[in-house]
Amino acid sequence: MEDFRFKKSWLSALVLLTFLVLAACSSDEEGGASEEGEAAEDPDTITAWAWDPNFNIAALETAKESYDGDVELDVIENAQDDIVSKLNTGLSSGTMKGMPNIVLIEDQRAQSFLQSYPEAFFPIDDYINPEDFASYKLAPTSLDDKQYGLPFDTGVTGLFFRTDYLEEAGYTMEDLTDITWEEYIEIGQDVKETTGKDMISLDPNDLGLIRVMIQSAGAWYVDEEGTNVNIEGNEPLRKAFENYKAMMEADFVKANSDWSQFIASFNSGDVATVPSGNWIGASIEAEESQAGDWAVAPIPRLDMEGAVNASNQGGSSFYVLNVPGKEKAAEFLGQTFGENEEFYQDLVNDVGAIGTYTPASDGEAYQTENEFFGGQSLISDFSTWVEDIPSVNYGMHTYSIEDILAAEMQNYLKGKSLDDAFADAQAQAEAQLK
Amino acid sequence: MSKVVNRAGSPYLERNKSFGRWYRKNYIGWLFILLAVAGISLFYFYPMGRALLLSFQSGMGSNLEYVGLNNYIRLFSDPTFIAALTNTFIYLLIQVPIMILLALFFSVLLNDATLKFKGFFRTAIFLPCVTSLVAYAVIFKYLFGVDGLINQFLMDLSLISQPLNWLSDPVLAKITIIAAITWRWTGYNMIFYLSALQNIDRSMYEAARIDGATSFQQFFYITVPMLKPIILFTSIISTIGTLQIFDEIMNITNGGPGNATLSISMYIYNLSFEYSPDFGYAATVSYVIVILVVILSLIQFKVAGDDK
Amino acid sequence: MRKLKRIGVYTFLSIAALVSIFPFLWMLVSMTNKSVDVTQGRLLPGGHLFENVRVLFESVSMVTALVNSTIIAVITTFLTLLIGSLAGYGFEIYRTPGRDRIFNILLLSMMIPFAAIMVPLYRMFGGVSASIPFLGIDTLAAAILPTVITAFFIFFFRQNTKMFAKELVEAGRIDGLSELGIFFRIYLPTMKTAYAAAAIIAFMNSWNNYLWPLVVLQSPENQTIPLLISNLGAGYSPDYGVIMTAIVIATLPTALVFFIMQRHFVAGMMGSVKG
Repeated sequence: MEDFRFKKSWLSALVLLTFLVLAACSSDEEGGASEEGEAAEDPDTITAWAWDPNFNIAALETAKESYDGDVELDVIENAQDDIVSKLNTGLSSGTMKGMPNIVLIEDQRAQSFLQSYPEAFFPIDDYINPEDFASYKLAPTSLDDKQYGLPFDTGVTGLFFRTDYLEEAGYTMEDLTDITWEEYIEIGQDVKETTGKDMISLDPNDLGLIRVMIQSAGAWYVDEEGTNVNIEGNEPLRKAFENYKAMMEADFVKANSDWSQFIASFNSGDVATVPSGNWIGASIEAEESQAGDWAVAPIPRLDMEGAVNASNQGGSSFYVLNVPGKEKAAEFLGQTFGENEEFYQDLVNDVGAIGTYTPASDGEAYQTENEFFGGQSLISDFSTWVEDIPSVNYGMHTYSIEDILAAEMQNYLKGKSLDDAFADAQAQAEAQLK
Repeated sequence: MSKVVNRAGSPYLERNKSFGRWYRKNYIGWLFILLAVAGISLFYFYPMGRALLLSFQSGMGSNLEYVGLNNYIRLFSDPTFIAALTNTFIYLLIQVPIMILLALFFSVLLNDATLKFKGFFRTAIFLPCVTSLVAYAVIFKYLFGVDGLINQFLMDLSLISQPLNWLSDPVLAKITIIAAITWRWTGYNMIFYLSALQNIDRSMYEAARIDGATSFQQFFYITVPMLKPIILFTSIISTIGTLQIFDEIMNITNGGPGNATLSISMYIYNLSFEYSPDFGYAATVSYVIVILVVILSLIQFKVAGDDK
Repeated sequence: MRKLKRIGVYTFLSIAALVSIFPFLWMLVSMTNKSVDVTQGRLLPGGHLFENVRVLFESVSMVTALVNSTIIAVITTFLTLLIGSLAGYGFEIYRTPGRDRIFNILLLSMMIPFAAIMVPLYRMFGGVSASIPFLGIDTLAAAILPTVITAFFIFFFRQNTKMFAKELVEAGRIDGLSELGIFFRIYLPTMKTAYAAAAIIAFMNSWNNYLWPLVVLQSPENQTIPLLISNLGAGYSPDYGVIMTAIVIATLPTALVFFIMQRHFVAGMMGSVKG
């Protein structure tokens, strides 16, 4: 009896094992070929990956409503970092299995994907007219004269500020308009002295503000080709670092180490200004008790030739993957985000998203006054600034260079000379990217 | 004591018995481990082999080409890698011993039959390792923030006069990480000891007590030797865990300030996903962990004097 | 003196317990607060609990994720314990130099970071997808399989078997039990605490597993709890009150498993079994 049971259980174990081995063997043979094999069928349902239910996912849902083509769109929510991991794993495995039709990618990461997986994306030149979009969005979303990304939201920056605090220190909207970062720092000191409030909240590990500063002067961590590291001798970057240090030393910075602390810094009323991409507006409006206390001025500029009071932080675009259903996906994007002005008015009204499709900015919805921001025509102001954003080639190494720069920033703040810090960063970045 | 440790099914004696019986045992031994060996070969060794091949390639995303040993050479002149390696060893040398001792201590206290509220204490001390990482990252950042509770507490005690910048000072950030890892994993290690303590014969303690041994002596002369296999197990597991430490760093400091808290695993993640993906170089860095763990485990086995 | 020591022990344990559960308590408090209050570290309970729960269950498929995570964790725990203990027992009881060598090689598999083998593994399941659909990408089976057989548990059970009284095996043989019979009838009941500890760890690992389910599961129907929580924090303006509510709900099952299993750790139980 015992022996019989014994045999039976080992038998089932063996069957399971054989099955596993078979599964593994078949995987190896088909790994490379499967992508071609499945391309025949054209699905009725296309899938899209995006990350913010109140923002880009809502935008896709709105697009779905305004689209009358014969396709079912399935929007799947994934955190942005998760999308990056999933895409990298999926695309590099070469199987394309499980990949969506449409995916949202942050502009600063786009080149890295386009160049790393040349066959994986589907050009959409035939479905949109790139010239309809803000010019600064085109460089990051295209490669080798082919347009891959459909430019979606702008990360146009503004200087969000507490009107009550600034007034107490003797400043009006006009005093904050078209200023330099040096002037901003002076104002900050006044605000701190009179109101006791900090001017800004910064995370010492996050160089987001540095990027905002240098793009306003048309510069980046890499040169115009997007390939060569441009740190040593990069004047805008030098100015940005100097401004950053001046802020840190001015004693009006409330340090944060986390997104939630950053949001808390202004929701609690502890800081007077938030220089940021326009998307921070939703988080500011979340604290209803501060309604009427906020306004938005143009972002300060670097004190140098060619710098403008407009920059960008964040912002993303839609990409079509080279999988069955790609034509349908491109058609869908082309006929909604690519040409439908009406849809863009809905986007502003219902979602609060500012697109980068220029013909849409004359629409009525763009003129709406925002009560929370004291009746300011926020959308209209933002879309005016969008036109001034200098176009830069982000290249494909923004985040790896930034990690190197963040380490050197620490050294600089502790007293290392900027020349040495930049020379070291340049050498290290070149070694890493060769 | 020798009775308990005596191994009847002991290894190499089997051959002295009749060949038939040995053959049968040997054959059954294979059956017991068959599934595990097959599964691990399939789901670990095969991908590890692929990763080894990858470590000789370099390039972005799917544009990989063979570069020979270039990746391995590149390691030695990569300051980020060297920083990550140094940090990881600092974590290892300071954190693992603290945690193991603390876990042993807790388990002995909680194994006392006369202690009240055992269930509560056990659950409480275990709870950190089931608490979601997201929550504990948020709260650690809050606790260790400039105006966080830790600073308030230290200032109330007059231990410091100025709030400390825990997360943006290179040394303090490392201390925060070590505190976070210890907080999270001590209870985890404790349950291995608690479960193993049940296998120690109570009568040994009684005999020792009659002979007048203090609880200190009982701990070092009965508990520690009896738990040796499990202590060895947990120290190897913790070594591997710390060498691969990722979650805490990713969620609490993100490697910063600069790269003062960056770990090897975090660097691998950055190379694969955060930067332009270079899976080849990432695989090379992974194999460095493998080599390190093998060396360290061999040392630990030797030190613990595994019975052969 | 004895009494003083007692008080010392209780004080020490109480402080340790407080430090350990503080974040958990904070989570409980936070799930009753608005997002704005959570980000400001409010330590007092608020009246926002029902609102948070309502938003959570309305905005995401919490129930689906709970069901998926439970299926995955229960199956994984069962298979992990079975395969791991069979192998750990096999390696220790039927020890030969050859198998010792294999054991050492198996240990190697613990040492490579998962991120390094993820892409080949994904490729493997991607390849199977066409021929064996129920095992391919985006199936719960694919999320389970690579995680059930781990050197960790083989190692764990082998180390525990070292402390198992081997005379019991001989006694079983004399009683005429088959080798597998000895394993199931003698070893398994004797090693209850080891199984309890392993079950807790296996369940917890599976319940919290993030990276592999993330890449291998695509559709919302297959989402697990950690992926759902990651999504909740994804937007530009996450609702931390709702996130904390989700985290508390997500933490309860593992805490419960621990609470159920830990009664096996009661001191002195083993002594009687060993007799």
